[in-house]
Amino acid sequence: MAGSSPVRHRQTPSRPSPVRSPDSSYRSEDRNGEMNHLEALLAAQILHDDVRKRAYKTLADHEYEEEQKKRAEREQEIKDQQRREEERLRHEKKLRDEEERLRALQAQTVPKLPPQPKPSPQSTTVAPSNGDAAAATQPAAAKPTPTPDTSSSGPAAQDPSKNPFQAEPPKTNGHVSSAAPPNTTSSPFARPATSQPANPSAAATAPEPAAQAPAQIQPTRPPAVPVVDDYVQIHKNLKKLRALMTEHAKSNPQLKKQMGEMRREIRKSLGQLTGGKGANKKQLESIKTILMSALHSQPSSPMTDPSSFVVGNREPVEGALNNEPQLPSLFLYLMNQLGKAIINQFINECGASPRSADPVGVVTAQLFSAKEFLWRGQSLIDILMAKFRIVCPVVFGYRGSDKTNQGRLRLGWKKEGDAWISEQQHNDRMMGLGIGYASIALRDFSKSSNINPWPPSRYWKSMADIVNTPPDEMTDTQCIVLKSMLNQHEEKFINFYGSAAVAALRRALVEFPNSAPKKTPGVMGLQVLAVMCKRDMGLDLGL
Amino acid sequence: MSDLASRITAPEASAAPNLDMGDVETAQTDGAGMIGNGSGLQEVNYDVEVSLNELQRDRSNPLGSAHTFEELGLPGEVLQGLMAMQFQKPSKVQEKALPLMLANPPQNMIAQSQSGTGKTAAFVTTTLSRVDFSQPTQPQALILAPSRELARQIQGVVQTIGQFCASLVVAAAVPGAVARDTRIEASVVCGTPGTVMDLIRRRQFDVSQLKVLVIDEADNMLDQQGLGDQCARVKQMLPPTVQILLFSATFPDGVVKYAEKFAPNANQIKLKVQELTVRGISQMFMDCPDESQKYAILCQLYGLMQIGSSIIFVKTRESANEIMKRMVADGHKVTALHGAFEGGERDALIDEFRSGRTKVLITTNVLARGIDVSSVSMVINYDVPMKGPGEREPDPETYLHRIGRTGRFGRVGVSITFIYDKKSFDFLQQIAEKYQIDLIRLVPDDWDTTEKEVQRVIKSSRAQSGFNPSAK
Repeated sequence: MAGSSPVRHRQTPSRPSPVRSPDSSYRSEDRNGEMNHLEALLAAQILHDDVRKRAYKTLADHEYEEEQKKRAEREQEIKDQQRREEERLRHEKKLRDEEERLRALQAQTVPKLPPQPKPSPQSTTVAPSNGDAAAATQPAAAKPTPTPDTSSSGPAAQDPSKNPFQAEPPKTNGHVSSAAPPNTTSSPFARPATSQPANPSAAATAPEPAAQAPAQIQPTRPPAVPVVDDYVQIHKNLKKLRALMTEHAKSNPQLKKQMGEMRREIRKSLGQLTGGKGANKKQLESIKTILMSALHSQPSSPMTDPSSFVVGNREPVEGALNNEPQLPSLFLYLMNQLGKAIINQFINECGASPRSADPVGVVTAQLFSAKEFLWRGQSLIDILMAKFRIVCPVVFGYRGSDKTNQGRLRLGWKKEGDAWISEQQHNDRMMGLGIGYASIALRDFSKSSNINPWPPSRYWKSMADIVNTPPDEMTDTQCIVLKSMLNQHEEKFINFYGSAAVAALRRALVEFPNSAPKKTPGVMGLQVLAVMCKRDMGLDLGL
Repeated sequence: MSDLASRITAPEASAAPNLDMGDVETAQTDGAGMIGNGSGLQEVNYDVEVSLNELQRDRSNPLGSAHTFEELGLPGEVLQGLMAMQFQKPSKVQEKALPLMLANPPQNMIAQSQSGTGKTAAFVTTTLSRVDFSQPTQPQALILAPSRELARQIQGVVQTIGQFCASLVVAAAVPGAVARDTRIEASVVCGTPGTVMDLIRRRQFDVSQLKVLVIDEADNMLDQQGLGDQCARVKQMLPPTVQILLFSATFPDGVVKYAEKFAPNANQIKLKVQELTVRGISQMFMDCPDESQKYAILCQLYGLMQIGSSIIFVKTRESANEIMKRMVADGHKVTALHGAFEGGERDALIDEFRSGRTKVLITTNVLARGIDVSSVSMVINYDVPMKGPGEREPDPETYLHRIGRTGRFGRVGVSITFIYDKKSFDFLQQIAEKYQIDLIRLVPDDWDTTEKEVQRVIKSSRAQSGFNPSAK
């Protein structure tokens, strides 16, 4: 081990080189002495240990750091995961909320009595159907009114896929009860309180005046009642208008002549409608021309306030074409005649030939949504619906027994003279009106700049009203209307409501008829429609 | 409801139907009573007479009458088909005829009932119930009709009621529909007698397994020399066990005798004579000042009431084409169908109308019988129907068949016959007298008044249509 190199080595460890005077050590006598050697060895040892210690520390530090980093990463990962989970949860919760809202909406729309096109909450309900109207957008519109208490037990207990509609208390037909003897409340269909808490009044206040009956029966839903009366009242007002116009015409030969010609021209044009693209241009134009001319007072007619022919109050709307407080009475009269012609076309033609309903529905939607025929920015379709309400109360949620006089009145069963029309005639009318209603209410306005005057939400509500009838109060009239408003419209319905529509169809065509106590022809008709859905569209509703 | 026995009359008695309206009124009052009580609301049966063959009369348990289709024990697929067609319950003719026709062993039937009361559905239902669907290509039922239009229409009804019968094959044996050298491979065959006769003779049509023979518009078929012979020859070639069902809106006495020979030992179902005037159809006539104004008046009619589809019967092709031209200009979608068109062309034209692509059908007489387009709400006799050499006398039967194209199945129907001089008025008068129809006169002077009158007539004739028990 001896040699020159260890010498230097020996010196260095004791003192750090810069400190040690190079001269002293270098020149020192005993620089090669043992002492010096040992000293250097020791210094080297110390240095070595020091380095080693530091190395260990560095390593430990590094390991610690690594560990910290890993932990941090892990933490981050967990956090990420948490975030993801949270997001998922939030999403699910949102979905759940949406669903809940959907149910709430269904629960809410169902118990409401006949549509109330005007109130502001409704306008949100209108929105989805104007656009793409997926089922998901529907619930968003549900919030405005709180869910009525009748459904409080409902949403929680029921699976939405099983029952897309909520149960609803029975209704009485306001129009009818006012015309019928006052024992409305004690009639068989007011009585059965099968599921609902809403009609406790029956026994207690039987001799009440009939007009009070509806209010008694639905104490939980006060806003519903006025709407009923609204349509019946509008219908009465329209009758008065008709009588008034006849009077005007007597003193105004020009008005009389043109009024008759216009009325007949509208009737003829509506009767000429056929299927096929562009087939009805001429007819539509002809009706529009007549209405426009009446609106521009040619011939002139006394002015009338349209508000007695619409539901709710209307204020002038900026930019609307007809903002005046009054419109020519001839125009309103002709809108009324148009409504009559539409209903008659459904009754006379569409029961026998369902496919002729669609062109009528198209023209109806076009005319009642046309900007030039709106009043204060909203459609005058209430004129038509007031008639619908009278001839086909079932789509507005009314029901009654077809075995009694009053029940038949409620169902819109027509009388000729003193006698009821035959069952066959009645069914025929209902078939035509059912499909007619669908042809108006399931119109796609997504590509139109106009507002849908009777959006699909109305259709959903009508369907819900019928399907939620307690099975033992169901009549064939309801089955027939339901079937004819579904038949040939399944696809459109599904386009608007997606899987909610499928659930609704299942409810209407499978569960509902299955729960019927008796397999009447009407019930069987619904079941057959389910079979046809499967055969023709491949839509398996789970028979 | 009167009890069963009282509704059944012996064959002798049925020969002289009771013309007294008293029965009707009593029955109606009965029904109304029930309404008053708010209980039962069944319709009253007073206008269908049933006479039974000996076999049926000998039974201790007489015929039932089916108030629902389910009671008939029909195959499930057939029942589904009826439900899909919105048939709610059997019509009067169906509720009497179906139990008899479906009974085993099969018995013959002669059934007469007014237009649009469900005759076709009755025999189609029976036919489908007798077919063994495991042999879809073996002819088992034959339905004969006087014209290709009617045969094809019946084929359509068979397919609709049979839409749930998976292996149902229906063939039309009408001129030009079956190529030579091809065999008919269908379980149900609808055809015209001449073509069917030829097909059987040429062995294209195997009749050995035939179970049912239906003859629709039987009066017309058995009455006319040519068609009657062809029917008889077809029948001779069929197995003797075949069940024979004869259906028509009218059965003049002469034809009844022949029919009874043709379908021996048949049960018979008949309507009373005065029911034949097709209740429920508002029958009016338009008093035109002269012939040249008929067209302008015709166009006005479409504004008087809500019309679905309509049929205008005219005398000549020329006037058919002329009216068509003018109506198209007025915005109507029109089909003109007359003798100038044949075979496939006729099929296409009638399909155009039937499918609703056109809503006005202008036609000469070819269509008077049996064609059922259920949304027809107005029939116009642009000319009074005439018959005989030189068309010198009025033709009441044709009138009846024509107006029977509307008011199907209890729907609103209106018929308006145009007259313009003393002669046409007298002819129409004779028709009205024969059926004791109270025709309402319309004048084209003030359309407001005419409109009101038409609306009133529609309302009142529906009220008296006899489908409803009246409270009076």
